[in-house]
Amino acid sequence: MKIIGVYSIKGGVGKTSTAVNMAYLAAAEGNRTLIWDLDPQGAATYYFRVKPKVKGGGKALLSGKRELDDVIKGTDFDRLDLLPADFSYRNMDILLEGAKRPTRQLGHLMRPIRREYDLVFLDCPPSISLMSENIFRAADALLVPLIPSTLSARTLTQLDDFLDQDRSHGKLRVLPFFSMVDASRPLHVDTMARLAEQHKELLAASIPQAPEVERMGVHRMPLPAYAPSDVAARAYLALWAELRSVL
Amino acid sequence: MNPATRDFWLPEAAEQAAISDSIRSALHCVEEAETETRSRYLDSFDWALYRAGAALLEQTTGQHRELAWLDLRNGGVIVARQPLENAPGFIDALPPGPVRTLLEPLLGIRRLLPMASVGVRARTLRVLNDDDKTVVRILLEENSLVADATRPRRELPARLRMIPVRGYARELEHAARRLGQALNLTPADEPLFHAAMAAAGLMPGAYSTSLDYQLDPGQRADAAAKQILLGLFDTLEANVDGTRRNLDSEFLHDLRVATRRTRSALSQIKGVFPAPIVDDFKARFAWLQQVTGPMRDLDVYLLDYPGLRDSLPRAMRDDLEPLRDWLGSHYAEEQSKLVEALGSPQFLSLRRDWRAFLQGAVPATSTPTDPENAGRSIKTVADRRIRSMFKRLLREGRAITDASPAAELHELRKTCKKLRYLMEFFQSLYPKGELRRLIKQSKVLLDNLGEFQDLEVQALYLADIAKRMYAEGGAGAATMLSMGALVNTLFEGQQRARAEFAQTFAGFDTDANRAAFDALFSARKHAVVAAYSGAGPDADSGARPGTNSAGSDSANRGNGDSV
Repeated sequence: MKIIGVYSIKGGVGKTSTAVNMAYLAAAEGNRTLIWDLDPQGAATYYFRVKPKVKGGGKALLSGKRELDDVIKGTDFDRLDLLPADFSYRNMDILLEGAKRPTRQLGHLMRPIRREYDLVFLDCPPSISLMSENIFRAADALLVPLIPSTLSARTLTQLDDFLDQDRSHGKLRVLPFFSMVDASRPLHVDTMARLAEQHKELLAASIPQAPEVERMGVHRMPLPAYAPSDVAARAYLALWAELRSVL
Repeated sequence: MNPATRDFWLPEAAEQAAISDSIRSALHCVEEAETETRSRYLDSFDWALYRAGAALLEQTTGQHRELAWLDLRNGGVIVARQPLENAPGFIDALPPGPVRTLLEPLLGIRRLLPMASVGVRARTLRVLNDDDKTVVRILLEENSLVADATRPRRELPARLRMIPVRGYARELEHAARRLGQALNLTPADEPLFHAAMAAAGLMPGAYSTSLDYQLDPGQRADAAAKQILLGLFDTLEANVDGTRRNLDSEFLHDLRVATRRTRSALSQIKGVFPAPIVDDFKARFAWLQQVTGPMRDLDVYLLDYPGLRDSLPRAMRDDLEPLRDWLGSHYAEEQSKLVEALGSPQFLSLRRDWRAFLQGAVPATSTPTDPENAGRSIKTVADRRIRSMFKRLLREGRAITDASPAAELHELRKTCKKLRYLMEFFQSLYPKGELRRLIKQSKVLLDNLGEFQDLEVQALYLADIAKRMYAEGGAGAATMLSMGALVNTLFEGQQRARAEFAQTFAGFDTDANRAAFDALFSARKHAVVAAYSGAGPDADSGARPGTNSAGSDSANRGNGDSV
C-alpha cells in the first residue's frame, strides 16, 4: 500500500480536486484505492455525496474505539472507497497532542487496512501542524499543488525547509506540480519557467485553471467521471500517469 | 465489515423489463446502460483451486480485466481481486497481489487453463439515497455458457444480485425487504460456477492421479487387474492432449507416471493374463516411456535450474546461464519429436489395442488353460505379491554393505518402488490407517534411494551435456567450470544419501514393520476375506476394504524411471 498526501501549506490551490481526481483515476485503472478526507471542511466527502460524519468523531478513531474499517464508505465508483471527513477534525491537533507518539498516530491507524488497498490518498488540511507532521511521517509521497505565483513558490521553500529539519522524513518524496495555471497570464508563464529551473523535482504535468474543475461541486463527482475529454481532465490523467511512474 | 452479495434465481420466463419496473416502483433508483461482460473460470488441469474450495474468475468489462477469487464454500463470495494485464497462465505471469498470494501455493508449476466461459448481460439499477448517492446496486443478469469449438452456447440461470456498497448495510437490508415484498424471489442456493460447469459438461475435481481403486476382495484377479490398468490408462489418455500442446510440464509427468505404473502393474500382478499378451504390451509401454524421456529430462533441468544455480557460489552463478540457453534451444526440437511420437501409428495402435484388451470380458468360469492367478481372488494374489516383494526388499537391503556397488542400491530402489505400487494398487483391500503407515515408511526408504540414484543420473547427464556444449562450441571455460562445480555438488549430495542409507534401511527393517507386514498381508489372518472368496477355512477379523488416496507420484520429481 502506498500513501500519497495531497498537501499544501496554503489553501485554495486545487488540493481537494487533485486528491479526488487522482483517486478516481487510480481506481479506474484497477487499483484498490482509498481517499481519506482529513479536512474538516469535508469538500472531498461532499464531492462523493457522502455525509461528512464519523460516529464518535476523530476522538473515537484515535482512541481505537472505532476502527477505520467501520467508517469506510464505498463511493459510486468501482474500487474507490472514502473515509469521510468529520467536523471534529478541526480539533485534531488537540487530540493528537494528548496521544502517545503524537506524530505517528495516522500511520498507526492505517495499519489494519494495509492489505486492503493499493493506494491511499490523504486530502490534507492546509497549514503546518501536528496533523501535517503525521501525514509527512505516514506518506510515501507528497503531491503539492502550486499556483505559479511568487507567494506560492515561497510555500514550497518553507515546506522543504521544514522537512529538512527532521531527518525522519527520509523516505518521503515531495512532488510539486503547477495547479490552476492560466497560460494567458505572463506572470504564470514566467514563474513556471523560473521555478522549473530552481526545483528539479517539479512534475512535468500541470493542471489548467478550467471552469469544468469548478463544476465538480455541481456534479458532485470526479471531473473525469463526467467530462473525461475536458482539457483539465486530460491534464489530471497526465498527472496521474506521472505520479504512477514515480511511485 | 461489508455484507455479502445476495443472489436470487429469476424464474426462467421472467421479463427483465417488468422486473426492472417493479424494482423502480419499490425503490428510488436509476437504471444504467446495459452491460455485457465475459468471464472465464480458470483452474489447473487437476482442479487445484476447486479442490481447495475456490474458483478463479477472469472478468473483462470494457478495457478493464481482473481476476476474482471466489470462495465456493461460502456461497461464491469474492474474497480477493486483482487487475490483470496479460493473459493468465503460469504464476510468474501474474504480478504480486491478493489473488496471486492465494493462488501461488495451490497452482505450483501448473498453468491456469480456461474451463468454461460465461457471458453476462446485465441491467444495473443503482439504489440512491437522499443525496443521490448509490447505496445498493441491483443487477439483473442473463447468463449463458459461451459456445466454443467443443460445445454449443447454453442458457444458464438468470439471477438478481443485490450488491452492497461498503458502509451502507442498513440500506441493503431496507432494499432487500422492499424487494422481498415486491417480487417473489428465490435465494440462489449455489454460485453460478456449478451451473456453468454442468452446462459445459465438466466435473470439477474429477481428474486425480491417486490410485484409489475400489476393489472387491473376492473379485477374480484378472478382472481386478484390468480395473486397475483401465484406471491408469484413463489417466494416461487424459494427459495426451496437454502433453502434445505442452500446456505445462505436469501433463507429460503424469503421462509418464501412468506409463510407469502400468508397466509395473503388468509385471507385478503376475500370472493373471496370458504371457504373450503381457510381453507384447510391456514392450510397447517401454517404447512409450523411452520416447517421452528426453523431453522430461529437459523439463526437469529447466524446472530445477534456479535451484541448481543457487547451489553454486555466488560468483559462479552467471557463468551457468549458457546451460539454460542450451536446454532452451533443444526444447522445441524435443517437443516436436514427442508430438510426432504421440501422433504416430505406433501410439495410436497401442491406445486402441490396449483399451480393447482392457475392456474385453474376463472368462466367467475358470478353465485349466487360464494363467495360474487369473481365477484366484484378487485379495489372495495381492497378499502373496506384497509379501513376496517385502521379503525380497529385506533380503536385498540386508545384503548391502558400505562396500556394495551402486547397482545394488539401484536394484533395491526398483524393488521398493514395486512394493509401494503394489500397496497403492491394492489399498482398498486393507485397513486404511495401517496400510497408509506402511506406504509412508516405504516412501522414506524410497526417497533415500531415489536421491542416491537421481543425483548420480543428474550428475552424469550434466557432464554429458557439458561435453556436448563444448563440442558445439557454445560454452567457454567459465561455463565449463561452473558445470563442473555443479556436477561435483551433485556427487557430494549422492554421497550424503549413500552415507544415510544404512540408517534409513535400519529404520525400515524393524520388528514393528515386519510384524505389521505380517499381520496385514498374511492370508491366514484374513480368513474373512478368504471365506468371502470361498477359499478359506476359519473366520477372523480381517480386511476392511477402505478408501485410501495416500501416496501419489505427482510429488516425485526425480527423473528416475527405472521401474
